[in-house]
Amino acid sequence: MLRRQLIGSIVGATALISAFSPALADDPVRIGYTIARTGLFAAAAPSQEQAYTLWAEQVNAAGGLDVGGEMRPVEFVSYDDESDPSKAAQLYERLITSDEVDLLMAPWGTPHHLNVAGVVERYGFPMVGNTAASVMIREVEPGNIWFPTSAIPDQIGPQLAQMLSEAGIGSVAILANVLPFSQENLQFLTPALEAQGIEILMSENYPPDITDMTPLLTQVRAAEPDAVLALTYPADAFLYTGQARELGIDPQLQFLLIGPTIDAFANAFGPVADGIVTLAHWSPEQEAWPRARPFFDAYVARFDQEPDYLDSALAYMSAEILQQAVAEAGLDHDALRAAIAGGTFDTINGEVRFDGVQNAVTPTAFVQRQEGRMQLVWPPEIATASLVTQ
Amino acid sequence: MLDTLLSGQLLFSVAVLGALYALIGLGLNLVFGTMRLLNIAHGDFLMLGAYSGFWWFTLTGISPLIALPLTALGGAAIGLTLYALVFRQQLAKGLDPAVIEARSLLLFFGISVVIQNLTAMAFTATPRAYRHLDTVYQLGETAMTGNRIATLIVALTILGAMLVFLNRTLFGMEIKALIQHREAARIVGININRVQMVSIAVGFGTVAISGSLLSMTEQVTPFMGFRFTIAAFVVIIMGGLGNILGGIVAGFLLAIIEIYAVTIFSAEARSILIYGAFVAILIISPQGLLGRARR
Repeated sequence: MLRRQLIGSIVGATALISAFSPALADDPVRIGYTIARTGLFAAAAPSQEQAYTLWAEQVNAAGGLDVGGEMRPVEFVSYDDESDPSKAAQLYERLITSDEVDLLMAPWGTPHHLNVAGVVERYGFPMVGNTAASVMIREVEPGNIWFPTSAIPDQIGPQLAQMLSEAGIGSVAILANVLPFSQENLQFLTPALEAQGIEILMSENYPPDITDMTPLLTQVRAAEPDAVLALTYPADAFLYTGQARELGIDPQLQFLLIGPTIDAFANAFGPVADGIVTLAHWSPEQEAWPRARPFFDAYVARFDQEPDYLDSALAYMSAEILQQAVAEAGLDHDALRAAIAGGTFDTINGEVRFDGVQNAVTPTAFVQRQEGRMQLVWPPEIATASLVTQ
Repeated sequence: MLDTLLSGQLLFSVAVLGALYALIGLGLNLVFGTMRLLNIAHGDFLMLGAYSGFWWFTLTGISPLIALPLTALGGAAIGLTLYALVFRQQLAKGLDPAVIEARSLLLFFGISVVIQNLTAMAFTATPRAYRHLDTVYQLGETAMTGNRIATLIVALTILGAMLVFLNRTLFGMEIKALIQHREAARIVGININRVQMVSIAVGFGTVAISGSLLSMTEQVTPFMGFRFTIAAFVVIIMGGLGNILGGIVAGFLLAIIEIYAVTIFSAEARSILIYGAFVAILIISPQGLLGRARR
C-alpha cells in the first residue's frame, strides 16, 4: 500500500507541477500561504497542506477557479515558516507586498493565525483561517480573518461534560499535557464537570516530552474512574493509548483531545483505537453533507491515507469558502471581505456562516471510531451514530 | 507507597526505558570518546533507524527485529561515509580536542538540518506508525506489551555484548585505550584509524537499532530525533564523557529518576528532577558518575 503511496506521491507531484505550469493558462490566480515544513509543528502541517493541494488539483481539473464568472487556474506561492509564528507574519507581509499574490490561505496552528491576523488587518487583505482553536481568536479584530472551527475550549468543556453526563459517567480521571491547547481546555472542562456533578478523581498535568506514562496510568487504574479524559497532543496520545492498553485500563469511555484523528493513530492501534472519543466536527459518515464523502474518497485516493478529521477538513473547508466567495465577488479585497463576512457557504462540513470572526453554524462536536469508521457522536443534531460506552 | 515503588510494572518500565537510554547513549559515547566528535545529529540518525524499521515492516512485511542487522549496517555505512568524507582528515591533523569538538558541533548541526529536511522531502513530515508485536503478556501483576519486551531484550543483549567486547577482547581494549589516552594509544602502536572506523560504525549502527526499536511504539516523523539527542547527551555527561559503563549506568539512572519522580512527586516535577540530578552530579563529580580525568 505504501509503495503505491510513494509512486502516487511522485506521480502526484509531477501532475501538480504540470498542473501549475504556465502552459496551462497565462493568467493564473496566485494564492499565497506559509506552512510549517520544518520545526516543531512540521509533523502536524502536512494534513493541512495536502488538503490545499487536493483542492487546487480539483479546481484546476474542473477548468479553474471561478473569478466572478471567469475561469482561471490556481497557482500556489508557499513558504516554509519553520514553525515560527513571527516568521509566518513576515512571510505573509512578503506574500502581500512583494509577491503580490491574489489570495491568501492560512498557515498551520493558533499562534501562527494570531500573528498573521495583524498582517492581514494592516493590509486589509481578507483570509479565511482554519487550524486555529482558542478563545483568543475572539480577541482578533474582525473584518479580515475568519475561523471556521467550532473546536473552541470554552465550548468543548461544557459540551464534553454534558455528553459524559448523558452517557451516565459519574467519575473521571484527567491527564493534561502542559501545552496551551490542553491547558485552555482543562481550564473550562474542570468547572463544567463539576457543574454536571461528575466527580474528578484525579487531575494531573504532564510535560510534552514525557517518555513513559506508566506511573500516571498506575494511579489512573487505582482510581477506577468511569472515564479517562486525556488532554493530549499527538505524540502523547500514542504513548497514552499504548501504555493504557498495556496496563489494562478499560474504562467506560476514553477521551483523547488531539491525536486520534490522524491517520497514523489508526495504523498504530487498529481495533484498539475503536471506542476512543476525540475532538472533531466533521465526518464523511454524515450524509446530510453531500460534499463530505467525495472529499474523503478523493483524499484517500490521492494520498493513500485518511484525512485528519480536524485539520484536513478545516483546511479544505477554508478553501471551499474562499472559492465560493471569489466566485461571487472576484478578487477585489473589499468585495471579497463583504462576501465572506455576509455569505453562507456549502462545505464538506455542511453550511457555514460567520458571525464576527467565528463560524455561527457548526456546533462543537466529538467523534468516536467505531469498527474503523469515524462517527460523529455528539451533539445529537449532527450525530451519525450513538456514543458507545463499555 | 512502598508497594507502588516496588511494583513490577514500574520496574519493567524502568528497565525498558533505561535500556533504551543506555543504548542511545552508547553510540554517542563511543563516537565522542574515541574521536571527540560532538554529534548533535545523534537523534536524527536514530530517526533514520526508525524509518528503516517502519519501511521494512510496511513495504515488505518483514519484522523490524529481523531487519535489525540491515538497519545497523545502514547506520554504520552512513557513519563510515561521514568519517571518510569529513572527519578522517580532520582527525589525522592532530588538532587540539577542543577544536575538533567545536568544529564537529557545527558540522553535525548542519548535518542534522539537512537530514531532517531531506527525510521530510522524501517521506513527507506526516507521522507514520504501524502495529507490531502488540500482544499484552501478563506476568503476575505485571503487564508487558510484546514490542516493549523485544526492545528490552535486544537493548540488553547489545549492551551486554558491547561490555564483553570492550573488556574481554583485544580490539575492545584498543578502543578503551584510545578513549583513555589518545597519544599513549598511538605510541603503543594501536591502529588509530581502524579503531575510529569501528567506533563510528558501531556508534551509528547502535543508534539506528535504537530508532528501529522505538518505531514499534512511537510515531515516526522526520523531527522526532531532537529529544533523544538531548537524552543521549544527559546520559553520557552524567555517566562521564567517554566512559561506556558510566553511560550505561546513567541511562538506567535517568530512567529511574524519570519513572519514580512522577510516582513520588508529580509528572510536572519530571524535568526539574532530571536536570536537577544532572546538575547535582556534575557539581559533586564533574567527570560524571564513573568518569575520570581525560587526556
